[in-house]
Amino acid sequence: MLEYILKRTAGAIISLFVVITLIFVLLRLMPMEGYFGAEYDKLSEEVRASMLAEKGLDQPIYVQLFNFYKSLFQGDLGKSWIYRPNYPIVKILEKKIPYSLKIGVISMIFSLIVGIPLGAVMARFKGKFADKLGTAFIAIVEALPTAVLMLFLQLFFSSWFNLSLLFDKNNYATWVLPIFSISLLSICSYAMWMRRYMIDNINMDYVKLARAKGVSGSRIMFRHVFKNAFVPMAQFLPGSVLSTIIGSIYIEHLYSIPGTGSLLIDVIQLQDNTMVQALVLIYAAIGIAGMFLGDVLMALIDPRISFVKKGDDR
Amino acid sequence: MENYLQNKEVILSVKDLSVRFSLRGKSLHAIRGVSLDVYKGESLAIVGESGSGKSVLTKNFIGLLDKNGTIDKGEILFEGMDLAKFKTEREWAKIRGKKIAMVMQDPMTSLNPLKTIGWQISEALILNRGMNHAQAKAETLNILKDVGISEPERRYKQYPHEFSGGMRQRVVIAIAVACSPEILICDEPTTALDVTIQAQILSLIKDLCRKYGMTTIYITHDLGVVANVADRIAVMYAGDIVEVGTSEEVFFDPKHPYTWALMSSLPQLGEKGHELYSIKGTPPKLFGVIRGDAFAPRNPQALKIDYMVRPPYFEISPTHKARTWLLDPRAPKIDPPECLKRLKELENIESGDMDE
Ligand SMILES: Nc1ncnc2c1ncn2[C@@H]1O[C@H](COP(=O)(O)OP(=O)(O)O)[C@@H](O)[C@H]1O
Ligand SMILES: [Mg+2]
Repeated sequence: MLEYILKRTAGAIISLFVVITLIFVLLRLMPMEGYFGAEYDKLSEEVRASMLAEKGLDQPIYVQLFNFYKSLFQGDLGKSWIYRPNYPIVKILEKKIPYSLKIGVISMIFSLIVGIPLGAVMARFKGKFADKLGTAFIAIVEALPTAVLMLFLQLFFSSWFNLSLLFDKNNYATWVLPIFSISLLSICSYAMWMRRYMIDNINMDYVKLARAKGVSGSRIMFRHVFKNAFVPMAQFLPGSVLSTIIGSIYIEHLYSIPGTGSLLIDVIQLQDNTMVQALVLIYAAIGIAGMFLGDVLMALIDPRISFVKKGDDR
Repeated sequence: MENYLQNKEVILSVKDLSVRFSLRGKSLHAIRGVSLDVYKGESLAIVGESGSGKSVLTKNFIGLLDKNGTIDKGEILFEGMDLAKFKTEREWAKIRGKKIAMVMQDPMTSLNPLKTIGWQISEALILNRGMNHAQAKAETLNILKDVGISEPERRYKQYPHEFSGGMRQRVVIAIAVACSPEILICDEPTTALDVTIQAQILSLIKDLCRKYGMTTIYITHDLGVVANVADRIAVMYAGDIVEVGTSEEVFFDPKHPYTWALMSSLPQLGEKGHELYSIKGTPPKLFGVIRGDAFAPRNPQALKIDYMVRPPYFEISPTHKARTWLLDPRAPKIDPPECLKRLKELENIESGDMDE
């Protein structure tokens, strides 16, 4: 087990390294207008050189990369160029991350708590009313374009329940709609996959044996099938962490939540490249951590995964 | 063999059972009027090619018929109840595992991969014998020893993937005998296993049935293994039992042409340099009505009447009967194939694969 986790950790660190390097290099390969605006070409040679030198862009790319990693290891993500000129990015993020993190984590937990049991209940009563209702609900949510659905939620729910259209960190009632909006899609996909995996499992031989030994229908569902169906779910969860994050970028924008998602949209529009770089790095790290956790979770549930073959036992 | 029936009481009685499946709008007649008595304490083998309905027949005994199947006629009498009339899971809960248990074909997929084998055996004990966890654990360790698993304390905590096929089948058997059922159905319990392990599993089942006083119904498509385990043999063809008798009767005095064909394809009867006999043709389609003797189209010596009227059972002895017109006094005399005589010379028929 330990060996398995160590292997996965190494894998995760390597992927993170590759992703960061790639982002860094790609941003450096952008035309210089990307850094200094449309006027760049018209400037004199000396001015350009001094502008480059000021930002350390005159050095060869591998030196820049080395310097970037060096400061990264000291916890320094560099300075913002345009968003808040020469202000340390870490300081900017310090205020933004807690909002995104709180909303993201609450949404994740909420979607798991609602989505997984919903799928399980639908599988248990396959073809019955509860299943049909759930399937119809999922179909509607999946079929509507996300942007339309989210706007609809914001406008109608805020007027029905008399909630504010915008987010206010001190008023917890205003947290409800964004969290619900972010969760809705993951709830539907969790429910759909859980239902599918459970139904797949119901037809397996071990379920027949369990029935033959006198285990009741509900007990089979919840003591035997549930865990087995959850194994492929665990693998699929990291991807959904990512989609929760991506969902939250749009939702933060929609509700003016002062988090990293709306920040990313702002800095891309401003072409503040060090900020873009820092944010993409954080999102990539979250994504990779999600996959890592998915692997570990699966290994915890499924004894076959971290199993080291012991020939003498067989 | 008149004395076979002495002191024997019928534990399960199937009367004119008919089972149909609906499949894409069509109706498939899988069990076509089977009658069969099972005697307490005996070991009964049901043999026949695959697709002949062995599994479907016995699944009815524990109410595990596939959802698209229905019993449209007949009775299954057991302890004063008619199992064919059972509708609800609650009714079956009293039977399944407790009174009638089943060992299935594929031990590789029959166990829950995420639960320890100790948990899986204990579960049967807790649910069916009302034990608490500590009692169930102690009893599980006993049963593990009984089914020949060494170091039960250590094995208890292990998962199915840590066991080989043969060992897993022992675990499956342990689960089945955990509730000391009256009847143990073994549906091709060795088909998925290595030949060397097959013999071990067979003798294990035999020993356990004696020890726990269980009645065994042993399903196989391999006539070779039957000789070792069965007191009585029922031969199935196309959803019907065409011949039934004690092992000696069926082996040494078979009457039905299908039984002859089955036995002729035993590898033990093959001669060096000759190709092993195999039954020509394919079993009939079970959609629609079968006229006459279902085996007639594959039987080169079939009589005219075999194509027209379904033969009744003819009694050869109180324990031996067969459904073939050859036993009618008016029928021409047709002898069983020569090679079957050599069966008597072969004292010990060992396991071997029948041609399917
Ligand atoms: N669920 C089902 N739906 C339709 N046909 C089935 C079903 N289960 C079994 N059958 C058919 O019933 C016949 C008997 O099958 P089975 O009892 O499994 O044979 P076997 O003797 O090999 O155990 C076969 O023709 C099979 O195709
Ligand atoms: Mg079968």
